[in-house]
Amino acid sequence: MTDAEITVIGAGPSGMVAATTLSKVGYHVEIIEQRETLGGAIYRQPVESAMAGGPAAGSNARWKTIRNAFVKQAIPVRCGTVFLGIDGDGLVLIEDRRKGRVERLRRKGVVVAVGAVEKVYPRTGWHLPGVSTAGGLQVMMKETGRAPEGRVLLAGNGPLLIAVAAQMARLGNPPAALVEAGDPFGHMATGVALLKHPALLQEALLYLMDVYRSRIPWLRGAHVTSIEKEGPALLVRIERKGLEKRMSVDRIGLHDGIRCNDFGLPPETLSSKDAPVVVRAGDCREALGAIAAEADGARAAQRLANILSGSAEASGLDAAINRTRQAQDLLARLFAPIGNVSPLAICSDETILCRCEAKTVGDLRSLCQHLHPMTGREVKLNGRFAMGACQGRFCADNTASLMALMNADSADLPPRAEDLTGRRWPVRPVSIAALTAAANPNTEKPNNEVEQDDAS
Amino acid sequence: MQPRLPSTAIVIGSGIVGASVAYFLARRGIAVRLIEAVSPAAEATGAADGAVSVASKKPGPMMQAALKGVALFGELADEGLLAGAFKRRSTFIVAASEDECAVLEAHASALAGAGVRVDTLDGKTLRARFCALSPGARMAIEVHGEGHAIGYQVVHRLLTAANVKVSRNTSVQELMLDTNGQRITKVTTSRGDARADIVVLAAGNGSAGLLGLRDILRPRKGQLLITERAPALNAAMPGAIMSGRYLLSKGSQTSAKAAPGRGLGLVIDPLVTGQFLIGGTREDFGDRSTNDIDAVSQILRDAVALVPGLASLRLLRSFAGVRTAVVDGLPLVGRIPGTENGFVATGFEGDGICLGPVMGKSIVQMICGEPTDVDLSVFDPSRFVLSGALQ
Repeated sequence: MTDAEITVIGAGPSGMVAATTLSKVGYHVEIIEQRETLGGAIYRQPVESAMAGGPAAGSNARWKTIRNAFVKQAIPVRCGTVFLGIDGDGLVLIEDRRKGRVERLRRKGVVVAVGAVEKVYPRTGWHLPGVSTAGGLQVMMKETGRAPEGRVLLAGNGPLLIAVAAQMARLGNPPAALVEAGDPFGHMATGVALLKHPALLQEALLYLMDVYRSRIPWLRGAHVTSIEKEGPALLVRIERKGLEKRMSVDRIGLHDGIRCNDFGLPPETLSSKDAPVVVRAGDCREALGAIAAEADGARAAQRLANILSGSAEASGLDAAINRTRQAQDLLARLFAPIGNVSPLAICSDETILCRCEAKTVGDLRSLCQHLHPMTGREVKLNGRFAMGACQGRFCADNTASLMALMNADSADLPPRAEDLTGRRWPVRPVSIAALTAAANPNTEKPNNEVEQDDAS
Repeated sequence: MQPRLPSTAIVIGSGIVGASVAYFLARRGIAVRLIEAVSPAAEATGAADGAVSVASKKPGPMMQAALKGVALFGELADEGLLAGAFKRRSTFIVAASEDECAVLEAHASALAGAGVRVDTLDGKTLRARFCALSPGARMAIEVHGEGHAIGYQVVHRLLTAANVKVSRNTSVQELMLDTNGQRITKVTTSRGDARADIVVLAAGNGSAGLLGLRDILRPRKGQLLITERAPALNAAMPGAIMSGRYLLSKGSQTSAKAAPGRGLGLVIDPLVTGQFLIGGTREDFGDRSTNDIDAVSQILRDAVALVPGLASLRLLRSFAGVRTAVVDGLPLVGRIPGTENGFVATGFEGDGICLGPVMGKSIVQMICGEPTDVDLSVFDPSRFVLSGALQ
């Protein structure tokens, strides 16, 4: 295993396809995965002893194809292992959480395939217990085979909300309501264009049928304006066409789309003397979903193989990826939020923006009240946004977008999430005990002897 | 000599030195324009350990300057400008071997001789005060009256209070002299020309190219670490810990454990947030602001050996910065040789946070023809023959 030439990070569809492709052309590949099972968020396998919630038949077939091809190559898999980054000397750093140690790997190539994360806009009360992401509820259902209990509200924007609602309905607890910022029925022409993507349309219709069969109220062109604690429950205020509706629920799943999970990741490096070639694959390169991720895993693997063997670079992205991108563009237009006001612009000053450091939208607004727009890094350092234990996963995007809104008339480029998060390792907090176990092998010996002396 | 007080000034560089110069100029009513290649505190100031300290200094001009520096931080905190941004605490230099004990005892008497309040703590007393320390700590000296300040916070306070215009992402290309070669008439930048009565260069390693000082100014990289919050362990530490070995590392002597050209010191500072700042390295090669696992794991190993409780925490961030060192170990502060209206203040290596404000104040006093808080004569740039890059 230590002889691997290439490490693939993330065992979702893109990572598994990339590893399979590279192994087939003769590279020694290993794959690391932070969870205990293969499949990634999309093909999340039930944890042992849980009842299988089961993915839809179509996706189940896709998963079997990916898994069988992967298993055939006998690629070493290390679960419970997290990618920390690539250090200044070009060493790939991973934390093996089972063994409790950080390892340093010298590699020719790295495929980063760490998927997507959900976007969630801040809203008053979104940090309260009982509020999670809709995708989080979905993963829970896949792992446990059970729907979340009590009255559940799903709110935000995009087709995933419908999928989660349908899955909850199938597992016996349909959500109390579905609050959607867009109105897909208001874009008939765009809807018709979906006919060009029959698989997608079929999946969407199946979910919609579940939603209608379970009589789940689907409030379109609506958004959650605030969440408050109300005894053991949550009081939600929903605004639609200027009217306010109130609901009392036990849980809320928020979701405003997905984005690349690229926080702090090393950039793609296509040639380097001392460091591995790094390519990104799947949703962490461009968030297009599972089907495109497979194609992109193969593309990234081919690209890496071409660079390593010195042959000409493969041209562009293949047709499957372009096609998915068109479909995703259609969906984005179909679900475009009603009204032109950014959900960030209407946040109250008291709204929590950074959960780790409990910084509010108002804190950011007062920090940015200077004559000259501050850079993302200054806002990070002086406002402590993106400085907490989540390292910006929750707030960097929203902070950068809010800054861009406030400095809309600035000549400078709008700040990006990356300006706040930076690109340093560790990309996730890492155990200091595990890091000390990674001390330089040359100096390890004398220290070990000292420890043995102390113990005896 | 300066014929009259300036009414306008250009300051190049908005690290802690440039920001301090700008603040003290603005406080006198002088209109300041700050030109910054990236953004405030983007380089060494934003990646500093924040020690406001004389503890590791040997008697001499740098110790005298550091004493003034610490005192000024106290004043600025008391008058409100740095209230909450300067944490007063002691520095404990800890010896873990017989060699270090000997070095420490000699160092303690040197500090005491210079008027610094120092206590020597034997092993037993030390562990009673400092229950987080490992039994391996044999003795320590407590250097009183020191503190910690985060460089970028100080810069933010100074710039906000001075209300100066900062031209971000603007790089200076040249300092243009008049026909006599004695006055800087304009500063050419990537965003047009700028003119002012005086120009103060505080651009760290960026100063080297503008003044032709590439042989005199050297980049010296340092790596630092930040842990997650650990309020209980943090509260169990009454001050910062510095390994006795740090005294060796500071003299650019390479410790046996480190790679060639790299000194490893150890400072563990309990921050007001409940986090710990752990550092660091002094590296004479390369100027990339990267962190490597060799240095990080070795620093953490040393830190855990001294404070075992750190092993149960998580590392949140690593970062690196590049200090500006002068070949003779003394900063450059004073008039740019041969010019009437050009000044430079750079080369503070690892002492920028401690010395930035007091040196900024002193050079403004010099510009205005007043006696300076810090005696600047030993820092006069004319001790080097400049290679004539000024045109």
